[in-house]
Amino acid sequence: MYSRAGLASLREVLRDNLKKYGFPFPLNKAECHGWSDLPRSGKTLFYTSCMYQIATLTKSLSKFVGMADKLSAFGFVASKLIKPPKEDLERASRVLNKMVKLLKASGVNDLFYLYEDEPYSGAALLEMGYLDLFEEHAKSVYSFLKSRGIGRLITVDPHTHNALSRYREFVPGFDIEVLNVYEVIKEAKAVTQEELTIHDSCLYSRFLGLRENYRGLVTRAGLRIKEDFLITGKDNAFCCGYPIEAVDRDLSERIAELRAKSLKSLANRAIVVCPMCYAQLRDKVEVVDLMEVIE
Amino acid sequence: MSWEEAINRVISHGIPRVYEILERHPYLPELASKLRKAREEVIKNLDHYVEMTMKSVQRTGGKAYIANDAKEAREIVGKIVGTGKRVVLGKSMVAFEIGLRKYLQSLGNEVWETDLGELLLQLTDDNPSHIIGPAIHMTKERVAKVLREKIGADVSESSTHEELVAAARKFLREKFLTADVGITGANAVAADTGSIVLVENEGNIRLSSSVPPVHISVTGVEKIVPTLEYAMIEALVQSAYWGLYPPTYVNLTSGPSSTADIEHKRVSPAHGPKEFHLVLIDNGRREIAKDPDLWEGLLCIRCGRCHLHCPVYRVLDGKFGAPPYSGPMGAMWAYFVYKDPKPATLCTHSGNCKDVCPMKINIPRVLERIKFRASKAGNGKA
Repeated sequence: MYSRAGLASLREVLRDNLKKYGFPFPLNKAECHGWSDLPRSGKTLFYTSCMYQIATLTKSLSKFVGMADKLSAFGFVASKLIKPPKEDLERASRVLNKMVKLLKASGVNDLFYLYEDEPYSGAALLEMGYLDLFEEHAKSVYSFLKSRGIGRLITVDPHTHNALSRYREFVPGFDIEVLNVYEVIKEAKAVTQEELTIHDSCLYSRFLGLRENYRGLVTRAGLRIKEDFLITGKDNAFCCGYPIEAVDRDLSERIAELRAKSLKSLANRAIVVCPMCYAQLRDKVEVVDLMEVIE
Repeated sequence: MSWEEAINRVISHGIPRVYEILERHPYLPELASKLRKAREEVIKNLDHYVEMTMKSVQRTGGKAYIANDAKEAREIVGKIVGTGKRVVLGKSMVAFEIGLRKYLQSLGNEVWETDLGELLLQLTDDNPSHIIGPAIHMTKERVAKVLREKIGADVSESSTHEELVAAARKFLREKFLTADVGITGANAVAADTGSIVLVENEGNIRLSSSVPPVHISVTGVEKIVPTLEYAMIEALVQSAYWGLYPPTYVNLTSGPSSTADIEHKRVSPAHGPKEFHLVLIDNGRREIAKDPDLWEGLLCIRCGRCHLHCPVYRVLDGKFGAPPYSGPMGAMWAYFVYKDPKPATLCTHSGNCKDVCPMKINIPRVLERIKFRASKAGNGKA
């Protein structure tokens, strides 16, 4: 269970890890970019913030953070680097490459990727309420992106898009165009006729105004979706529990179980549009990323 | 039956009903948005409206008080009530916030909660699990057991909902008729007339506020609205967004009972209470009103709709918040009145609460700011 001391040490852990690894937990960032063969320069940055690549590691992270009260931040960061499982990295690679393919098909021909230089968005700092650290981090990311001459980027997950969308509040003069993959990809084809249900991203659906973007794509692609107003309606669909995993793992799991149970009452498989929802729900209900059921 | 089953029943009854009500009476969302603007005006000029309200109450022949904190509020009410009295309480979350029932009991008074849910909590010494339905965590079977064991009601586990309610009615009726003092909250207070408006369905508030010779209303300063028109609007909006519309009763009280039947000269008292007291409570609210990050949370009209749309509330067995304030609104109010930031740190920013809130309060944003303060406070380096 949370405690003030726990939150404070978690804050220190995140801060130290960001300094040391450029990421909220000890990660060899070389793990992030194996999926890509995009060019290293161009006009439109494909910005992953390494979220798809490491999403399934968040469970391991929360185990450590649960011990933050007992472990000194230093002891924690001194532990060995965490590595995503091979099959998860391969799946992430397929999803990200599908996005690249569909973006190109939508006419985005100047995509590039920063590989090992890609900075972390700071999403966890924002969502945990460490607003001062988020501000500091956002400013440094912004200066870095500017130093690379970047004027436009495309985010690929809701947490990164949310963080970047809020840079304007924290970074004076922020002037990089922030697009989301679902603002750009307008057409695709379903690869299955199985009846699925959909688990919406809270951030896309209720904070970022993107619900109709990806849902429109789902409809136009010809996917068959089973809905229920109390389970998948905009006001009633709810969180997978991921954002509080580091604060209260048990609560986070209970929310995920409740969510999975209601999704299973509608269909065998649920579409997700967020790597964190995928990681959070996959051991409780069968989930697929939207990118895995369209082409 | 578990909490999960109990809350699922409440959700499947309650959520669709609110949408039906809003569809059938399309003026309600318009009233809600009009009400928000009026309440913003009050929160931004709170001292001015407190003063105006107190003057208006005095003009109607009532007495008005401002209490800076819970202790002051208890003492003001304690002085009015005295000792050795029988007191009936209409449902008031603010009374719970300031610990009023137990305080009045400690002064040697007999005090009865008269809202059925609140009575059940009193009989079990429990905390409310929802801002409007305080005993929604109790099943019918448990209610029967409590009524049988605590007030000797002739009911059993197989009694119907109707039989349980009838048993409570029989028990409480005599209390209403013999009470010396009735204490209620207020859903809204009109600054221009000094009137309070109370919305309810059971009739316990109507009885508590009209039968005993003394009526005391305790409420937060943020319940003030500019005019009586808005106070009535608030009653309608509050009941609609909790899914009970039209409300069975809307009670309007402006001062003690009065009559002008002889030569159109208005005199007081008539048949209802001889005294009317309004105790306005600050308890941290005026400080929050000035806080640029948090003030919006004071716009809450306590409809309780956000609870049913919140994943954290659903899985925490009704214990998300700090009693009597629960759910997303309770996570804000735990900080406002108890300086407790813990519930805010459990917010998963699912975001449903802000979308269903009739006042359109950006609750996740308020909670984010509270999280930030908690992290700084715990850090020791702020």
